[in-house]
Amino acid sequence: MAIDRKNEQDFVRPVRRILIGLMAAFLLLIFFVWRIDSPRVEQFRVEVIDRVVPSFDWAMRPVTQIGAMVENLRSYARIVEQNQELRRELQQMRAWREAALQLEQRNAQLLSLNQVRIDPQMTHVTGVVMADSASPFRRSVLLNVGARDGVQDGWAVMDGLGLAGRISGVGSRTARVVLLTDTASMVPVIVQPSGQRAFLAGDNSPFPVLEFIESPEDLRPGDRVVSSDDGGVFPAGLLVGEVVQTRDRRLRVRLAADYGRLDFLRVIRARPQEVIADTGSLITPAPLPPAVADPLDSGEALPPTPPVQ
Amino acid sequence: MAERRLTPKALHIGLFLALAGAVTLYRLLPVQDYSSGVELGGGIVTDLVVAEGLMNRALWPAPDFLLCLTLAWIVRRPDLLPAPVIAAYFLFEDLLLLRPPGAWALIVLLGTEFLRRRAPLLRGSGFWLEYALIIGLMGAMFVVYRALLAIVIVPQAPLDLSFVQLVGSVIVYPVIVALVHFVLNLRKPATGELDGMGQKL
Repeated sequence: MAIDRKNEQDFVRPVRRILIGLMAAFLLLIFFVWRIDSPRVEQFRVEVIDRVVPSFDWAMRPVTQIGAMVENLRSYARIVEQNQELRRELQQMRAWREAALQLEQRNAQLLSLNQVRIDPQMTHVTGVVMADSASPFRRSVLLNVGARDGVQDGWAVMDGLGLAGRISGVGSRTARVVLLTDTASMVPVIVQPSGQRAFLAGDNSPFPVLEFIESPEDLRPGDRVVSSDDGGVFPAGLLVGEVVQTRDRRLRVRLAADYGRLDFLRVIRARPQEVIADTGSLITPAPLPPAVADPLDSGEALPPTPPVQ
Repeated sequence: MAERRLTPKALHIGLFLALAGAVTLYRLLPVQDYSSGVELGGGIVTDLVVAEGLMNRALWPAPDFLLCLTLAWIVRRPDLLPAPVIAAYFLFEDLLLLRPPGAWALIVLLGTEFLRRRAPLLRGSGFWLEYALIIGLMGAMFVVYRALLAIVIVPQAPLDLSFVQLVGSVIVYPVIVALVHFVLNLRKPATGELDGMGQKL
């Protein structure tokens, strides 16, 4: 141990500086590679997450449980008022149920009258939420189903009631769901009674914003918002939520999916829509047989053919 | 001999990784953020004003504890936290938390190197000078990070939110310092203090 520290430092420092420089260059390289060839690096990222996050499961579960318990305790505290509230709501719901049943029958009649073909291929696979990257900048959760279960990028995800988000990033055993509240989320929707098309853009608040509405004055709070199949992103007609208006007159959507309890999520298997590629060909009358020469027509439409040599 | 010299360092690296892992785990856990939606799901809140209040309340980002811990550690005992560990861990966190991989790790690496070179200067001075330097450094890292992302046109987190996070980190820094000082027992070595091997620190 008779090394003089001073000497050692003099020797080590330049080498160290070079190593730090190399490390920095390496990180910068990773960043630029990610910027240039994002999908491949994202695939690597998904693989890392795939490897790491399920091994955190032991820690996730108790914390999730405790969080749920605290939430339950809090709800015990206001159980009386909640009870009254629920009774009142139940009463309203009975009325609604009656109306819904009648409407359903009527709807079925009308559909059969119109011979509407409902998409029979909408099946789903259910997954359990394992984790979410809980930052205020990202709203996404990890599901425990992945490519192994046939999940693909872009499929819609619902909780029991409404649309919750879409798949973005699939590992072999996990899949990431970008929730509708994420800033990156942009989903085409239809606002129901007026049938207006709009985009539902997340902005990290619990109420995503409705954007690109043609005539906002036709919408009013309480209107139903359902997904639309514009652009082939989503199956149409999944319930999203209802319109609310904030004090600054912006139209937002109160989501039907219960983001407080995202435990089980359904991934809707979407079949790719058939694409109509050609624009359709010109419909022409069948060519006239050459033998039958109509004296009225052939003079105008067919120029006299030159003699074949 | 070599092994005995390595041990406390390895121990501290392990300690750092464990703490950092805990912070990351906390950020991954599904505990925060969703509470805001609970009231709405039940359909109990019908008044929009109430709903708006909920919206405003639930959205404060947590301060960056890991950054505070790293900087406080580097100021105190730069020899116990080598740069590759910092770079590797922050890169890992970049991957896990869906940030652009490499960028934040690079900036943290450069920031800590800046601080590491000034650690001997800070040894003699009090906390407030260090705090001022840290505020400046965090601000600079924040600006450089956003500038880097802006240059290559990566979609960024909203400015106000990340600014709130920066301010939160600055506020939390003294607390982390106290934690590092009293609980982890990492202190700026006094003049002439010796380590376990009798070497000058």
